[in-house]
Amino acid sequence: MNAAEIYKLSRLAIFWLSVTFGAVWVACWGVGVFIPSLITGKMPFLLQVDNPSTTVVFIADLLRSLTPILSLLVFIPINAMFMVLFERRSLALFTVRMGPNRHGFDGLAQTAADAVKLLFKEDITPRGADAFMFTLAPIIFFAPSIFGALPLLAAVTNNHDLFKVANLPTGIFYILAAASIPVVALVMAGWASNNKYSLVGGLRSAAQAISYEIPLVLSLVTMCLLAGTLDVVEIVEQQKGGILNWNILGGGALSGYDKLAPYWLNLVDTSFDTSAMFGQFYPVPWLSSIMAFVLVICTVLLFGLYLTGACAEINRIPFDLPEAESELVSGYNTEYSGIKFAIFFLAEFTNLFVVSSIATVMFLGGGDNPIPKWILDRLPLEPISNALGSLLSPLIKDLMFIDPATFWAAFWVIVKVYSIVFFAILVRGTLPRFRIDQLMDFGWKRLIPLALILFVVVVFARTWVVCHG
Amino acid sequence: MEATSSVETRSDFTRFIATFIYAVIVAAGVAIVFAKTTSPGGARQMMSIDLDIWLFAGITVAGIALRYFFAAYSEAVKVIACLGGFLIFTIGHDPMTRYLTLSALLFAIGMYGMVKSRNAVRVLMSIELMLNAVNINLITFARYVDPAGVKGHLFAIFILTVAAAEAAVGLAIVLSIYRNLATVDMDRFNLLRW
Amino acid sequence: MEFVNVQELVSTGVAEALAFYFIAALAITLSIGVISDKNVIRAGFLLIGVFGGISGLFFLLQAQFIALAQVMIYAVGITLVVVIALMLTNPRLQNEEAEEEAIASSEPALLKFLDSIRNGFPGLVAWIAFVTVYMAIRSEHWEQSTQTIGEDNIAVIGRALTTDYSLPFEFASVLLLAALIGAIMLAKAEKVEDTDTPREGIESGSN
Repeated sequence: MNAAEIYKLSRLAIFWLSVTFGAVWVACWGVGVFIPSLITGKMPFLLQVDNPSTTVVFIADLLRSLTPILSLLVFIPINAMFMVLFERRSLALFTVRMGPNRHGFDGLAQTAADAVKLLFKEDITPRGADAFMFTLAPIIFFAPSIFGALPLLAAVTNNHDLFKVANLPTGIFYILAAASIPVVALVMAGWASNNKYSLVGGLRSAAQAISYEIPLVLSLVTMCLLAGTLDVVEIVEQQKGGILNWNILGGGALSGYDKLAPYWLNLVDTSFDTSAMFGQFYPVPWLSSIMAFVLVICTVLLFGLYLTGACAEINRIPFDLPEAESELVSGYNTEYSGIKFAIFFLAEFTNLFVVSSIATVMFLGGGDNPIPKWILDRLPLEPISNALGSLLSPLIKDLMFIDPATFWAAFWVIVKVYSIVFFAILVRGTLPRFRIDQLMDFGWKRLIPLALILFVVVVFARTWVVCHG
Repeated sequence: MEATSSVETRSDFTRFIATFIYAVIVAAGVAIVFAKTTSPGGARQMMSIDLDIWLFAGITVAGIALRYFFAAYSEAVKVIACLGGFLIFTIGHDPMTRYLTLSALLFAIGMYGMVKSRNAVRVLMSIELMLNAVNINLITFARYVDPAGVKGHLFAIFILTVAAAEAAVGLAIVLSIYRNLATVDMDRFNLLRW
Repeated sequence: MEFVNVQELVSTGVAEALAFYFIAALAITLSIGVISDKNVIRAGFLLIGVFGGISGLFFLLQAQFIALAQVMIYAVGITLVVVIALMLTNPRLQNEEAEEEAIASSEPALLKFLDSIRNGFPGLVAWIAFVTVYMAIRSEHWEQSTQTIGEDNIAVIGRALTTDYSLPFEFASVLLLAALIGAIMLAKAEKVEDTDTPREGIESGSN
């Protein structure tokens, strides 16, 4: 196997991930913690003020409440640059090619150079185009990915104080509503371009998005049914405590086994009756256990269903009919150039990131580490964490630069999200594109019935098992 | 051929000036209402409902006159008249009246569009607009009169479903008519005439 | 840490009034665009803006569920279908407009005046309808409750839909099924005879 290339790819990923999240981290800390503390005189080692005026306090509060959106605005461009490069290098790895390796050290600055080039290109509006709609389309395409990602922030940072404001009781429904808007922009772009290829691309994307939104939404609705809530923070909260609690494994159907495993493995004192506790989670002796495994199968299928629907929703291969370059030049963005094209590009990769984050939050436990709690408790981590804590205590306590709870949540979210992104790239490198009639058949005759059947099965199975909700 | 249409005889400059004058007139009307409602002695109750309506009627007549004699831009006149009338009717009122007035205005616009349009699909769009106005009404009452129960929300949900069904069937009918008659012009749908 | 509570700012009134007037102006302007834009496809896109604005109003009225359903069903679902239908049925837009203008300009002055009165009739009816409804709104005094809607609004809606309103809910699902089947039946491609005269109209205009 090509070990050198894999090493280079991982080096690239680690470098760019540190750049991306380092920038976001510093920006969030600066705007959300440092400047407010500084102007209200609460910062240690620096100027101390006893009674800050109300204006200053208001400005500090305003800065804090703007942190979520600011973090996204910093994150999105850098992340898109990273993901483009990551995708190109990964595809090169899968197809045994070189990939971009000239700009910067081993091609690390390739996409930065591309971005600069795109920004300085001439912005062309074709003759006969509806100029207003033509300009509006990229904006409508891009804006929902920012607004849609906002409630996710609280979920992926372990409900950090700075991001709490962005949380909504309708969380996942809000995200889905925001995620359904970009297709309007695609139709708009296709129509406003005054180009037949663009128009066909836009119409295809509308048909595809409407068809594949149904299995996507149904899979998430089923997960919400298991969780008993729409609030993403609560959904993440429920899944805490290791991989057996995650929604992908039955939505909490296995949490009874998770609770009882230490007793069965004789890790703790088994002085009390475990079967009573077992009965609490699985009320009907045999049926409940069977139903728990039915639920596990259902949720794994639902996860696959979600990934398929999401793939179609964001127009990625094998569902990239709207921009099939062998048939439609480049689909809806054929006529776009310069910064408008850059915005389309940015939004596509941001959407990929957002759907991966939704999958992480809804199925993979958000910021939870995969090791079950009863193993984690037995690992000798306490001294290490204590040593680290005392070493970094000025950063944690005084400057509030590191929040341990958020740090580990964010770490695991990053790992999970980029694994899904890598999987999407793997799919792109593996599967050919669908034909339009195959796409419609697959959506309406396979996925939607499957989603409905799974929904009904889950509804019945969850009455026998104690789930999260 | 003698140019009889006032639309064609006017230059763009005249039309623009006429539209601008209309905007100024409406702004003056809104300013009067605003001054009356915010002045210390003049509470909103002092301004009777008749005065509001006469003011709105005056604005409408002025708009029609400027449109007919000086060929002011039609869409701009409509927009200015609606916005001005809306402001005159709602400034200084409680939120519930504001929402209900907006709902009534959108309903009237939808009604106008439904009768006036010749394109069948635009008629359907106007109907959707009217259904939405009704939804605003329901949600407003749910918010201000009956916050504990959610009857307004439930009715809005049912309206949403009915609207979806209506759009699907209506558009299918329009498509089928288009396939048979090659037009979506409402004036030519006379298949049922005897 | 203390934060600016956006919800509180909205419920105090001033911020809500400003947001309301902004959204209302947007919705009114765009809806007039919907009914009078010369380009019917653009009117379809403007309709999306109207529905988006109305969903903003629902947010202001603390009806989050309806607001999001409005975005998903109206602004994206229904309107997209409408726009696609417009694109399918609208190959000869400019020609029709020109035809209308030509007829209008060739009439004598008196007839034109009478014509404009006839054309203004729908406007008059809409105007009277609006003023009548407004008078009804002003003359009626509703008992306004000072309560605000709770956070668990969605749970209440869900419970009501599955208990008290389960029958209408089922009827709605039957209606949707009927509409689905009906729409498929109506829009299914039929065999078209080549001698059909209206077909030529499409072909001549669709290039």
